[in-house]
Amino acid sequence: MIIEGTHSIAAAPAHVFDRLMEPAVLQQAIPGCDKLEKTGEDEYVAHLKLGIGSIKGSYSGKVSLSDRQPPHKFTLHMEGKGGPGFVKGTSAIELTADGRATKLHYSANVQVGGLIAAVGSRMIEAAAKKLAGEFFHKFGAIVADAGKQAR
Amino acid sequence: MKSAKSNGYIGQAIKRVEDPRLMQGRATFVDDLRLPGMLHAAVLRSPHAHATILGLKTEAAKALPGVTDVFTGAEINQACGLVPCSASMPDLKAPKHTVLAGDRVYFVGHPVAIVVAASPSIARDALDLIEVDYDPLPAVANPEKALEKESPLTHPDHGTNVAFTWLLANGDVDGLFAQADRVIKQRIVHQRLTPMAIEPRGCVASFHAGEGSLTLWTSTQIPHLVRTLLPGMIGVAENKLRIVTPEVGGGFGSKLNLYVEEAMCSHLAMRLGAPVKWIEGRRENAMATIHGRDQIGEYELAVKNDGTVLAIKARTIADLGSYLQLLTPTIPTLTGLMISGCYKLKAVRFELTGVYTNKMATDAYRGAGRPEATYALERLMDLAAAELGLDPVKMRLKNFPKPGEFPFHTVTGLAYDSGNYQRALKKAQDLASWDALLEQRDAARQAGRLFGIGLSTYVEICGLGPSKIMAAGGWEWGCVRIEISGKVTAITGTTPHGQGQETSFAQIVGDRLGVPMDDIVVLRGDTASAHFGRDTYGSRATVLGGTALLMSVDKIIAKAKILAGALLGASAKKIDFRGGKFWVKGKPKNALDWKRLAQEAYVAKNLPANFEPGLEASSFFEPKNCTYPFGTHIVAAEVERETGDVTIVKYVAVDDCGPQVNPLLVEGQLQGGIAHSLGQVLFERTVYDGDGQLLTGEFTDYSMPRARDIPEYVIGSTVTPSPSNPLGIKGVGEAGTIGANPAIANAVMDALAPLGIRHVDLPLLPEKLWRAIEEKTAELRKKKPRSQS
Repeated sequence: MIIEGTHSIAAAPAHVFDRLMEPAVLQQAIPGCDKLEKTGEDEYVAHLKLGIGSIKGSYSGKVSLSDRQPPHKFTLHMEGKGGPGFVKGTSAIELTADGRATKLHYSANVQVGGLIAAVGSRMIEAAAKKLAGEFFHKFGAIVADAGKQAR
Repeated sequence: MKSAKSNGYIGQAIKRVEDPRLMQGRATFVDDLRLPGMLHAAVLRSPHAHATILGLKTEAAKALPGVTDVFTGAEINQACGLVPCSASMPDLKAPKHTVLAGDRVYFVGHPVAIVVAASPSIARDALDLIEVDYDPLPAVANPEKALEKESPLTHPDHGTNVAFTWLLANGDVDGLFAQADRVIKQRIVHQRLTPMAIEPRGCVASFHAGEGSLTLWTSTQIPHLVRTLLPGMIGVAENKLRIVTPEVGGGFGSKLNLYVEEAMCSHLAMRLGAPVKWIEGRRENAMATIHGRDQIGEYELAVKNDGTVLAIKARTIADLGSYLQLLTPTIPTLTGLMISGCYKLKAVRFELTGVYTNKMATDAYRGAGRPEATYALERLMDLAAAELGLDPVKMRLKNFPKPGEFPFHTVTGLAYDSGNYQRALKKAQDLASWDALLEQRDAARQAGRLFGIGLSTYVEICGLGPSKIMAAGGWEWGCVRIEISGKVTAITGTTPHGQGQETSFAQIVGDRLGVPMDDIVVLRGDTASAHFGRDTYGSRATVLGGTALLMSVDKIIAKAKILAGALLGASAKKIDFRGGKFWVKGKPKNALDWKRLAQEAYVAKNLPANFEPGLEASSFFEPKNCTYPFGTHIVAAEVERETGDVTIVKYVAVDDCGPQVNPLLVEGQLQGGIAHSLGQVLFERTVYDGDGQLLTGEFTDYSMPRARDIPEYVIGSTVTPSPSNPLGIKGVGEAGTIGANPAIANAVMDALAPLGIRHVDLPLLPEKLWRAIEEKTAELRKKKPRSQS
């Protein structure tokens, strides 16, 4: 399934791009993320606790980046598995300047399996959008804070 | 309660003696059992439809406080036998289905590991700590795609997804099709269904180390068959195995099986030296308890212009899922056997291909293969009547065998025992006020409403069955004991789980013995008391189990007459017996009752020579034929043009199951069966996506009929006794489901017929109907542009 969305972040693309590459920032912004460790160049290991509808569980997974073209775009690959099943996805992320802010567009191709599919498939899209919304809201706040401090 | 006299109970609508305990919450289900030291199991299931297991790490799960142990296929498969299947087609390719996956999983829900812990919640938490490294493989979920050359293979070592082929052919099919005025063709998809018993599966196993014996309490329809089959899986001898079925919250065929969890809990109870309980969750039930139906058929019916049906052809694919449960390949063959329905067809060719896909196994689900036959045939009859411009009622009447033609030998090789299809149809028409219903339809149509009438005339195969056609014997056993006190204990080898035979069997035994029902206890579902049995499925229990009890009663009466004669100074031949009393002909004043005879028989001081103490007898009943109940359902339905919603306006069911032991129970079975059909026709479908992911894993996604969806039923009956058993009864457990599917669907299709809609596959969801209505309405608009423009 394809999940798409656009968010506006109050900082310049170059700044947003750099922050998106920082594990500590990401860990703070990703909903339910209690671990995000860099394991190699553009490779991370993550641990998440998430609830999608009635399916609550913890997931561990790998995140990697490719096609890095700062500050315009990159591709995010993720693979998570846990008690409720598995999630696999690839997302193209594009940043464009929008005045003093950045317009971030993501388009993800997501596969789910196991209980998440059996019980949650109807809710996946809505849940994923909600999680993405939470992420960018928090990320935007962190980036804006950092911007203020820098000034 | 009625006083005990001959023929006093049979035929009475007596309330179920089972109900008070069930309604008051005093009944015992498997999950109510708590044994000292009992451990709890939870099963880790594959989230992939097809994958290689590269690695399995259980250390973290084992380290969780409260976890007793964790077992994988490597640790348990050697010790447990394969899941048994009773089918034996010559070309059947069967995968070796082990209790846990080996190095490969092949359906979502495939058990991969089992955790045993001090509590159910610890066991479930531990599942999350097991790490499985899966390497996904291509999967196939569509049975037609599975037959294509480039399809992924469910079992690569088979080299094909074809599990077996089966052909039923009789008569000059090609010749009759050449003679036909018309050939009616229709492709029909019988969608996959999830049985969804209100109580999921569950079991508790307890090993008695001193005796080397094992007791398994399990929510099953078939404790006796489990006792026959389980030794092959766990290595405990049959005579050291006791299977107990406490109360069961619904089976509908889904518990007519031996499942891996029953074997694993039994094995682990021995291995760990503690009782092990496993209770299936609803989500597990949806993915790992058998599914039903899932056949696709291309049907052709050869007919004459006058409505005479000549021959039928079917090419069908049965989606078996990924492996074989007990009866998986057998179920679609029942479709073939019943494909000629109530009609005098001269030839049949039914070609069946069983196909493996990366899905849960299919098996018996209410009706088990027969609803597919009735649904396909009755849809074809309506399509034929429409194409020929004939009245669907007259067309059916034209092709019925006459009442004098029974036993009626079908073109599929069966001998229908007795029948009067015309009478049931007439009665249903009367109950439906047929002519008024037609007028109602005319009026509704004139007002622009989508209103339709549908009927189905059906026959089913029940009372299964003669042992020569049953894999593990088709007889039934029953034992009756007059206790020392004169109270009566009847023990049946069938396993009632909602059918109410604690009541109906007490009626049968009470009448024949002349004993009040209150003095009779019916025991069932425990192999320690019911030594033999073939259990409950295929609408067999009252037909066969009732007869076995009756035979035992007659043996006791014969023995009691000898004793009464000795005590009264007469020969047994001179003893009259009625209403529970024995007397010498002409001297009813000096009668002996059961209490007195029981005392004499067990105290045994005044027994005649060579008379064995006791009043107890058991019997095996071996039927010579199956039974063939039949009937007619008539449905009026209206479809909302703007939404596609279906409303059942009228529901009439006339079923002929022979003489009814308890009409209340018969009506209950019909109501339940029709509710199942309303589900299949209007709501239910089990959906897997193209990758084999199950998408209907809970009630939010698997829609079942609710109370408000159930119409008021008008239920009637005709009585045509079966010559196959002394009570003449035929069975009624599946009649509702078999008769209802086509009647409801035909009514909806009749409602849509004025728009030119010919057929919509089940379930008839509002969206599907709305789209069909919209499409046809748009076509009609194009053809007839508005005159003003």
